[in-house]
Amino acid sequence: MATPETAAPERPAEERELAGINADYKEKFGFHDPESGYAYKAPKGLSREVVENISAYKDEPEWMREFRLKALEHFLERPTPQWGGNLNQIDWDDIHYFVRASEKNTQSWDEVPEDIKNTFDRLGIPEAERKFLAGVGAQYESEVVYHQVREDLEKQGVIFLDMDSGLREHEDIVREYWATVIPPNDNKLAALNSAVWSGGSFVYVPKGVKVEMPLQAYFRINTENMGQFERTLIIAEEGADVHYIEGCTAPVYSTDSLHSAVVEIIAKPGARIRYTTVQNWSQNVYNLVTKRAVAHEDATMEWVDCNLGSKLTMKYPSIYLLGERAHGEILSIAFAGQGQHQDAGGKIIHAAPKTTSSIFSKSISKDAGRTSYRGLLEVAKGAVEAKSKVVCDALLLDEHSRSDTYPTIRIGEDDVDVGHEATVSKIGEEQIFYLQSHGLDEEEASKMIVNGFIEPITKELPMEYAVEMNRLIELQMEGSIG
Amino acid sequence: MTERTKEQIDVCAAAELASGEMKLVETPEGVKIGVFNCGGALYAIEDRCSHDDGPLAEGPFDAEACTVECPRHGSLFDLTSGRPKTLPAYQPVTTYPVTIEDDTVKLEVS
Repeated sequence: MATPETAAPERPAEERELAGINADYKEKFGFHDPESGYAYKAPKGLSREVVENISAYKDEPEWMREFRLKALEHFLERPTPQWGGNLNQIDWDDIHYFVRASEKNTQSWDEVPEDIKNTFDRLGIPEAERKFLAGVGAQYESEVVYHQVREDLEKQGVIFLDMDSGLREHEDIVREYWATVIPPNDNKLAALNSAVWSGGSFVYVPKGVKVEMPLQAYFRINTENMGQFERTLIIAEEGADVHYIEGCTAPVYSTDSLHSAVVEIIAKPGARIRYTTVQNWSQNVYNLVTKRAVAHEDATMEWVDCNLGSKLTMKYPSIYLLGERAHGEILSIAFAGQGQHQDAGGKIIHAAPKTTSSIFSKSISKDAGRTSYRGLLEVAKGAVEAKSKVVCDALLLDEHSRSDTYPTIRIGEDDVDVGHEATVSKIGEEQIFYLQSHGLDEEEASKMIVNGFIEPITKELPMEYAVEMNRLIELQMEGSIG
Repeated sequence: MTERTKEQIDVCAAAELASGEMKLVETPEGVKIGVFNCGGALYAIEDRCSHDDGPLAEGPFDAEACTVECPRHGSLFDLTSGRPKTLPAYQPVTTYPVTIEDDTVKLEVS
């Protein structure tokens, strides 16, 4: 670190590099490709015909077609939620519900259409695969265009497919678990996803198999006014271990797009699943996602949920601790800048004795951005000796930003140990002054404080993602002073 | 502690509850109970979803699978045991014995 005496007038190399990264979202992630070669683009709006066409187009079994149509009824019957963020601006009739960019899903990078390949090259996906991933899936618009899993894992029986292929090739497993964690009429957005879902990942890890390196899926929206509705199902059999990572970006448009995923996870006895999200949608995307996991006896489920992008995110990953000694953890970071509302949090339900859990939420608001923590901790009757700790910290970077905390705690048992802490703080002038006295300028000092604030969560990310996360935060922080 | 006596409630004539049908009854204490005919076997559960205490028995009934689906959030309940087969409910609901005596469906409540 430079001292005031030795600080050079020119910006140090590291900072110059950061300034380059900060070019802006539009250049790095916000570009878009032409749609000229697209295989199919459904007309705007949602109807029985659109849903039937999606199902027919995918040549699905009859039970899935019926499932979709029933879900559509639930969607149409339910009112738009009036809590959380403002969803009234979404025009459900002004969305393309299904867009197929490529005719096929390939295992060969060379066969991916040129434009799409260039997009993922720019986003660094093939490079990441070569370096540190056990498998990767790349979804572009409604469908997965590239999928690959390491051969040694396949030999051990690990299945990592896009959801459409999962349904085709492993219909029996899919049907057994499908919608058992999130039924179609759980909520309006889950109903919508159930009606028009496309893509997503299907992961099955057999008993005792430990997948050492992460599996990754990358989701990209390209079309304007598009809805992406991926559906992910992860099953870890007894004693299995897997880490799944997802990332997402979209072009910057003046009109809004919608991303509404459903993620269902089943951790069998003794299994361990970690699900990491680095959400960096452009600021014209509504991100309305339902994620839920069940953890059976001695299983561990962890959500690491980082929300940086989108116009509005409403997402509360939940864990049902159904078996004795099951453990659940939710680590959540939310960053809201100008025009953004991050309504995030988590839910943990202790439904069995000796279950343990923790929720750590960190949120940062700047430039009139809004973050909300919305959480539920429930201990059911009979879940004796349950232990849980909920900590939610909010950091406000200026006077115009807003942070709200909506914690709900329901305890139905006496013999439990539950703690809840919440703090809201501003970056103090004293902290800035202290760091400036060590040679940092005001912006660097703020970045350092913010990075220190979220460090307990970023340290849980794989190194490559922690670095990316810090860079993204720095990108968001740029120009936040003065 | 006083022991509660068992009480029988007449639901309907047996012929009125064919397979695939459900009758909703109310005990003198005001507890609503759904009585279901799954292919000739009769089952009864309380009309209350354990997820959010909303009504349950009038949801979609699958006689073949012997399940009822909560009309509010979609949890599927096994009528033979009262246990939920899908989330968001995770706790069982109360079940009641059902018999047919003298061509009348009778429900045993306590």
